[in-house]
Amino acid sequence: MGAALVLLVVLAGCRTEHRFVKKVTFEKTNDIVITFAGPVDAAWAKNVDNYTVFEKEDPDILLAIKEITLTPDRTKVTLHFKNALNQSRAHTLMIKDIISEGKSQGAAVLTVKKLYLGYLFSILIGAMLIHNFVFTKYLGLCVFFGTSQKRTTAVGMGITFTIVIVFASMLSWFMYQFILKPIRLDYLQVVVFIGLVSLSVQAVDTILRKVNPALFKAFGVYLVLVIANCIILATPLILADKEYNAWESFMLSLGAGTGFLIALFLMSCVREKLELANVPPTYRGLPIAFIVAGLFALAFLGFSGMAIF
Amino acid sequence: MDPVLVKMAFIGLGVLGCIGLVFGIGLALAAHKFAVKINPKVEEVLEVLAGAQ
Repeated sequence: MGAALVLLVVLAGCRTEHRFVKKVTFEKTNDIVITFAGPVDAAWAKNVDNYTVFEKEDPDILLAIKEITLTPDRTKVTLHFKNALNQSRAHTLMIKDIISEGKSQGAAVLTVKKLYLGYLFSILIGAMLIHNFVFTKYLGLCVFFGTSQKRTTAVGMGITFTIVIVFASMLSWFMYQFILKPIRLDYLQVVVFIGLVSLSVQAVDTILRKVNPALFKAFGVYLVLVIANCIILATPLILADKEYNAWESFMLSLGAGTGFLIALFLMSCVREKLELANVPPTYRGLPIAFIVAGLFALAFLGFSGMAIF
Repeated sequence: MDPVLVKMAFIGLGVLGCIGLVFGIGLALAAHKFAVKINPKVEEVLEVLAGAQ
């Protein structure tokens, strides 16, 4: 498992579209480093006209190169740009015929982008902590307060929720991308997503009741409560809005589910302690819970603006 | 009314109706296949009770 992951990372990092170019990566804020398979001609490598770089989505805006440096073994070329590059977007790099020891190796069109796994991971962590649905977007509060009184119920609800949200979001994503969008019915997305969410909850309910009665009993009433949660509707809408692909959708919905699980767990821990505390009578029950939630939201504000990878 | 919009509306009705039908039949089949026998007495007792909550 670990080895497969490492292999995937290595493959994702070294994939290029030209046999003579080993690797193209971003470096610092405005550098792109090209690693060649053999030594290249210094005069050719230093010529700015040989390189054309632009953001993949804006091919008409060429990025200006300030300076080019070459390592002593002549296999690594660093392009320094005048302005900082937006490294979260894919860039296209076109190289005119590569001259290596007097011989031409042909032209190359390469894509420079950040490690895709890192990007996926940043979506997951982003949905889980940085843009936590409960504490920064204030969604799903009714279920959040309803089921966070005891730690066991909170964890049960969180796990049920994560399973259902991943299932429902993937279903909604598929529906939106392959049925609603091609026939231009995307204005009906809210109606369809509500239907799909209740469908997946009902399906999980029916199947689980037969297949695993013990687990069904443990989930109890929470499975039906999931329908009444708005995070589960917000996630497909975000997926549709941002045009995510299957993996990105999976990561976002998983992050939303685990973020809710974390929120429920933290809240239930505090509320169990609050039972023993000497709270003024006016604040007992929900009011103090809202204040605690506000404090959590303040703490989660500390994550805002963080960027991973 | 613009015939293009009318056509779009009817396509929407048709497609969503079909999707609903397919999923409805799917759920019904699932409910049939994964049916769990519930003691009928449970319901009878629940009916007799006051049932405010």
